Amino acid sequence: MGTTQAVLTVEGLRHRYGETVALDGVDLRVDPGECVALLGPNGAGKSTLVALAVGLLVPQHGTVRILGGDPRRAATRRRLGVAQQTLGFPNTLTVNELVTGAAVRGGRRPAAAGPILAELGLTDLAPRRVPKLSGGQKQRVQLAMALVTEPDLLILDEPTVGLDTMARRHFWQILARRRAQGTAVLVTTHLIEESAAVADRVVVLDRGRILADAPPQELVSRLPDRTVTARTGMDQAELERLPDVLSVRHEHDLVKIQTRSPEDLLRVLLDRDPALSELRVQDAGLEEAVVALTAGEEMAA
Amino acid sequence: MSGMMRRLFGVELRDELRAIVREPTSLFFGILMPVGLFVLFNLLYGKDTTQGLSAGTAMVATFGTYGVITVAALQPGIGVAQDRDLGWLRMKRVSAVPIGISLTAKATAALLYGVGVLLLMGAGAAAFGTLHASGWALLRVALVLLLGSVPFTLFSVAVGFRFRTGAAIALLNAVLFPLAMLSGLWIPIQFLPSVVQKIAKFLPTYHLAQLGLAQLGHGTTVIHVLALVLTTVVAAGVAAMSYRHARI
Repeated sequence: MGTTQAVLTVEGLRHRYGETVALDGVDLRVDPGECVALLGPNGAGKSTLVALAVGLLVPQHGTVRILGGDPRRAATRRRLGVAQQTLGFPNTLTVNELVTGAAVRGGRRPAAAGPILAELGLTDLAPRRVPKLSGGQKQRVQLAMALVTEPDLLILDEPTVGLDTMARRHFWQILARRRAQGTAVLVTTHLIEESAAVADRVVVLDRGRILADAPPQELVSRLPDRTVTARTGMDQAELERLPDVLSVRHEHDLVKIQTRSPEDLLRVLLDRDPALSELRVQDAGLEEAVVALTAGEEMAA
Repeated sequence: MSGMMRRLFGVELRDELRAIVREPTSLFFGILMPVGLFVLFNLLYGKDTTQGLSAGTAMVATFGTYGVITVAALQPGIGVAQDRDLGWLRMKRVSAVPIGISLTAKATAALLYGVGVLLLMGAGAAAFGTLHASGWALLRVALVLLLGSVPFTLFSVAVGFRFRTGAAIALLNAVLFPLAMLSGLWIPIQFLPSVVQKIAKFLPTYHLAQLGLAQLGHGTTVIHVLALVLTTVVAAGVAAMSYRHARI
């Protein structure tokens, strides 16, 4: 990793709007082929970070580099593919014209649009204008516009909102193909479990600072909570008196016990109820890990 | 202009031309209405003669001004406002399209439609037998009107950077209609009340129409050119200021 050039390098980024601090010292690196999920509550500073990365804002402190180049320069920005959730399309252009236009704006030949339209299943929709498209179809048009320039870095804002499960899977498959060719992906999302499944690294941003930057599995294992699930005859009060139990809840005819030392709990549990069955021990999910991170920050603040 | 800039301009211009021809309201207000009014007035009064000039020929200058100004004043500003509302201008900035290229494409598209409007009017007048001017004089009228539409495009863009789409449409139309009425673009200025004639001296549309008429052998030139140059300088300043404070 040390020898390859990073696709995106962010160093010591600070940004404020008047009195409001949007970014408070952010460092970030995205390597070729990597997919990094940027998570965080509204107002965490995600939009500001993206605006700086795509060259729409001038950094007040710190630097942003894309393949070593300043994103304020046009030549650097042409190496970017950006899909923003809030983008609307002119009603007077067809899907084909939109994607062709994006190809030319990105310095490619108009013919580059054809294969991308096919890959995203938009060939039949190519002659249609935008008002006739569904939300998911518009989302795919956006992605086609971002991919048609063969960018080195894709910046995607909530790319799968409005897509059904099949479309979502197809979307990540298309991205996987690009990543295998070295395209880096920075994705901002609210869908934590989805990013756990696809991202190499999860970056948790809150109040302008990075609270965590690690592979999703590592973030989860940092959180010591485990969930013990079983079918048992023991009642709620009895379960709550067991050692190291944080909480107990019933789900259908199963019981779910939250604990930080599953080994101690299991020894006692199996001893007390010989008829116990369907036993399972699980990590907490990424969602719980992220919530714990941001909640801890709130208490410290 | 480098190859890349030429290609960018090409794709922007293509999109802008489509934005006019595929949008029923801009097609109607920008092209059909001015040409329709021209045809109507030409059928009614085209055979009359005022100050030795056939009314049908004079209308090429006056209604021509109205037609060219309509496209120049409405289309670019409404386009800028729409692009801002959609986030489309932001997308273009991210994809490294210089704002100057986008604006030039909008102005050029309006200019090309202006040419179309003038050609339709010229063809109409010729068909009704009311066109009595040399080809050279008509060409000069066209050049004057197209060049004179520049300040209106600048003003339009200034409005587009300042207001949202709905407000921009309302405001630009609210400015355009009285300008057309009071400058003698629909009814010849000499038939309007003297108070209107006095007001007209302060309106750029009046000076543009008069400059157009002068090409047909009707009046002076210098004062109108000066008025239009002054208008252009002011409009350019307003447009630059509006752009600097715009949220894109």
